[in-house]
Amino acid sequence: MICDAVYEQAGFILKQRQYRETSLIIDVFTQDFGRVTLLAKGVRKAKSKSAALLQPFTALAVSYVGCGELKILTHVDVLHAALELNGLALYCGFYISELILCLLHQYDPHPDVFNDYNCCLSTLASATALEIEWALRLFEINLIEKIGYGLQLEYDFMTGLPIDAAKNYAFNIEKGPYEDALGYLSGVTLQVLHAKTLYDAKVLSEAKLLMRRVIDVYLQGRPLKSRQVMNQIIKRTHNV
Amino acid sequence: MLKKGLLGQVIQHLCCLPGVGPKTAQRMAFQLLQRNRDNAKALAEILLKALAEIGHCQQCRTLTEQTLCEICADPARELALLCVVESPADVWTVEQATVFKGRYFVLHGHLSPLDGIGPDELGLDALEQILAKGEVKELILATNSTLEGNATAYFIGELAVKHKVQASRLASGVPMGGELEFIDRVTLLHAFKGRRNIE
Ligand SMILES: [Zn+2]
Repeated sequence: MICDAVYEQAGFILKQRQYRETSLIIDVFTQDFGRVTLLAKGVRKAKSKSAALLQPFTALAVSYVGCGELKILTHVDVLHAALELNGLALYCGFYISELILCLLHQYDPHPDVFNDYNCCLSTLASATALEIEWALRLFEINLIEKIGYGLQLEYDFMTGLPIDAAKNYAFNIEKGPYEDALGYLSGVTLQVLHAKTLYDAKVLSEAKLLMRRVIDVYLQGRPLKSRQVMNQIIKRTHNV
Repeated sequence: MLKKGLLGQVIQHLCCLPGVGPKTAQRMAFQLLQRNRDNAKALAEILLKALAEIGHCQQCRTLTEQTLCEICADPARELALLCVVESPADVWTVEQATVFKGRYFVLHGHLSPLDGIGPDELGLDALEQILAKGEVKELILATNSTLEGNATAYFIGELAVKHKVQASRLASGVPMGGELEFIDRVTLLHAFKGRRNIE
């Protein structure tokens, strides 16, 4: 049994679902304790003050107590005003929340990932479409690294040679890149992903392919729901 | 506490209704079976009939036993105004509280990417077909004031732009009778952002 009494912990709501008539069960990503599941009692009553605060993508200070898997939310306040995420940025927000839900275990502290999540949300709120893509790739690479599956992007694992910007590579998720004239990754993309620096549209599209394959391996066949919904939405709003 | 047998089952099923706890369910069951048996029979029959006959209005998708609900069938209702709500209960709420004279479209939910509920699951094709007809001039987005409700409104707003229909969102702010001191910070922030000139 894990017994806790946590006071004003910084956190973001990842997901919530209704519980009985007036309550919510919320999945919160806390700064110091990782993902926790809280029961927010009576917050769906007409006069509840917390209902407006308990929304995703808002930096909250949550206090909770309890033993076992499900804790009781005792107090919640807003740390700073909610980020305005709309359209694509909002769906990307759901996407990174789903990655956290799928790839982090409950009660596994990851302050570093929390920090990345926070930064990524801020970027989403104020970035162009290309910047958003890049922010997502960085978030994915860092997340994979911080849960212990860091990618080797530095050298050709077959030859041991550094990545050559002029060559093409294929990718083994455990070992890294290897030279392949028909590979889908250019040397430039690998260098950029390793250095986490400059990027262009070509790098972004190759990086997207790579990270999608990597993440799918670690999801072990579970589909990402937010990805499916995002695809539907892009199809409807952009192809008139 | 949990009684077996038919009586126990009746109590258990009444318990699943909103606002009904075990105590109330028990009182209801005894009332129906002891003192008010005719009414119980009528209730059972009307429930069965309602379940069998009530479906969704072909046009707005609210609950009705007709092909078209009363509102859609009413020629006095304006075709140019369409109010989008999340549930049939919201249609009733808006009808009772406002002087809205247009028609409705019921979503039966909201976009919820983490539950895999997107435009396809909400059946937004039907809404797009209505917009494509060109009769609707203004879309009033009356989804809930939650993140998902807002996301849904934003997305439908984009569809409206695509079909050249004007779209508006319900205002959110200080509730009537609300003293500022007692209003949560998020609501107050929205109220400030959505402030209006005094006309
Ligand atoms: Zn109707």
